[in-house]
Amino acid sequence: MKTAANSMATTYPKQPMLLRRLLGTPTGVIGLAIVSLLIGGAVFADFLAPYDPTKMAVGPRFLKPGAEHLLGTDEFGRDMYSRILYGARLTLLVGATSVLISLTVGMSIGLVAAYRGGWLESVLMRSTDVLFSFTETLIALSCVAVLGPSLKNAIIAVGIAGIPFYARTCYSASLVERSKPYFEATMAAGAGHARLIVRHLLPNVLPTMIVVATLGVSTAILAAAGLSFLGLGAQPPLPEWGYMLSGARDYFNRAPWLMTIPGLAIALTVLGFNLLGDAFRTALDPTERHR
Amino acid sequence: MLRFIVGKVAMGALTVFVTTILVTLLIHLVPGDPVQIMYAQSQGSTPEQIEAVRRNLGLDQPIYIQYFQYIERLSQGDLGHTIRGGQPVLDVILQRLPNTLLLAVAAMIVAIVIGLPLGFLAAYHRNTYIDTALMGIAIAGISIPHFWLGLLLLFFFAVQLGWLPVSGSGLANLVLPAFTLGLSNAAIFARLTRSSMIDVLEQDFVQTALAKGLPRTLVLRRHVLRVGMIPLITMMGLQFAFMMGGAIVVENIFSWNGVGRMAVEAIFQRDYPIIQGFILTFAVVVVFVSIALDALYAVMDPRIRRGS
Repeated sequence: MKTAANSMATTYPKQPMLLRRLLGTPTGVIGLAIVSLLIGGAVFADFLAPYDPTKMAVGPRFLKPGAEHLLGTDEFGRDMYSRILYGARLTLLVGATSVLISLTVGMSIGLVAAYRGGWLESVLMRSTDVLFSFTETLIALSCVAVLGPSLKNAIIAVGIAGIPFYARTCYSASLVERSKPYFEATMAAGAGHARLIVRHLLPNVLPTMIVVATLGVSTAILAAAGLSFLGLGAQPPLPEWGYMLSGARDYFNRAPWLMTIPGLAIALTVLGFNLLGDAFRTALDPTERHR
Repeated sequence: MLRFIVGKVAMGALTVFVTTILVTLLIHLVPGDPVQIMYAQSQGSTPEQIEAVRRNLGLDQPIYIQYFQYIERLSQGDLGHTIRGGQPVLDVILQRLPNTLLLAVAAMIVAIVIGLPLGFLAAYHRNTYIDTALMGIAIAGISIPHFWLGLLLLFFFAVQLGWLPVSGSGLANLVLPAFTLGLSNAAIFARLTRSSMIDVLEQDFVQTALAKGLPRTLVLRRHVLRVGMIPLITMMGLQFAFMMGGAIVVENIFSWNGVGRMAVEAIFQRDYPIIQGFILTFAVVVVFVSIALDALYAVMDPRIRRGS
């Protein structure tokens, strides 16, 4: 018996580590590279940035990108390179915090609804459906209308706006887990509610949720930058990329780099999280692997 | 089929009902005194005037009474009056709504015309370099914020080349906003179309049709496209809602006179009656479009049409 079990164990192909699988695809490599670069820039902004991002007149106004100021200067003579670096910090903060809000609340709703069933499930999931049809933009805009424009409120707004989507995804993933024999067996063995949800349901829906959350970071960053672009998010003098873009349109002809650089920064960041999310999905989902 | 549609209509009605509750609550969720905030910008309003406004808006009543009053006025087509100017909110919205719908529909056409064929092409050539290239472009397209794309298009086609007007509300003015909104959605459409078509291409009936010697184009047109389109129609409903949301940003870039631009201005001016009206209108439009597309879906899918 013992030898049979051993030989069986050896016949299974060894599962490569997640990271190695992630790095096995070009999308994973590029995505990881972009995201690491962003995190690096954000963490070491204090060392990498030559100037204070909000300090005016560190150089002449509208200086073209060059040796003195790597990415040029803006309409107040602020250093664009420093602003972009500190902007990365804000962008990551916005993405991570709002996704964390959506994820924790959404997952709790999804888990509880799928686990309890009955009227609670109906109420929770119907309300989620209703909110979902509002679209994230409308929810975020309504939240900002209530709370007033600021970066903090934009993060909260984007976080709340994402809840229905995470709740739905977690709910359907939990339903699948709930119907599996192991879950029934654990239930029959007398495990309590908390144990069933936290020890069994949660770890099994987590891989799906990681994929969704990684892709969700890009959506959240886009949404928050959009709010800031409209003037409803970050307020001056914060070096927020979306806000920087909205100011740039007044200087189209004079300083086109004020428009191209922050836009490129947002696009690259979002691309990075999108690629990483896609790679995560491929790495975690065997049916997707040979597609 | 009737049952399917009745279910969808009921869900839509529930959505609108919940929206009316949220819209009534909205003004109470504002931290501080909403009336004070609304009038903070207009100088020299006396406490008596503030009280009068509070009474006018019904804010001195218990909240459930406020809700019933709101529903009563709503049933008479009264969405209240704007804080600034005192115009009927319904008029202000109806004046601008056609512009937003025009933009959303035009963007939808751009997205379908570009996204669908590319997605189909990628699915047909799946796992080849054509597929990889197309999906690479699509993921880049999804990553480009539409407010940046809008600025770039504006810069190149209106400012540099002078081919199209910078802002205004004629048909030529529609081109840039429609492409801004449409292109990012075309990328999403391409991805959705690809996965939907691949699902169909891998089904047995397609292999059978090919094996019995039917011409390839015929199989693609009659078997693959027809079946693969069905799930796409439901997704279009969701996409339309996203377009309405995206229109808010795009309208502001191009000074397109729609409800989105109105809403953002209203948020700045703290004109809550307009914001309330906007949210309700948005929900009603999205509900109508999704019911219409669900009905179309029911008609196109025989499994639902015959009620099995």
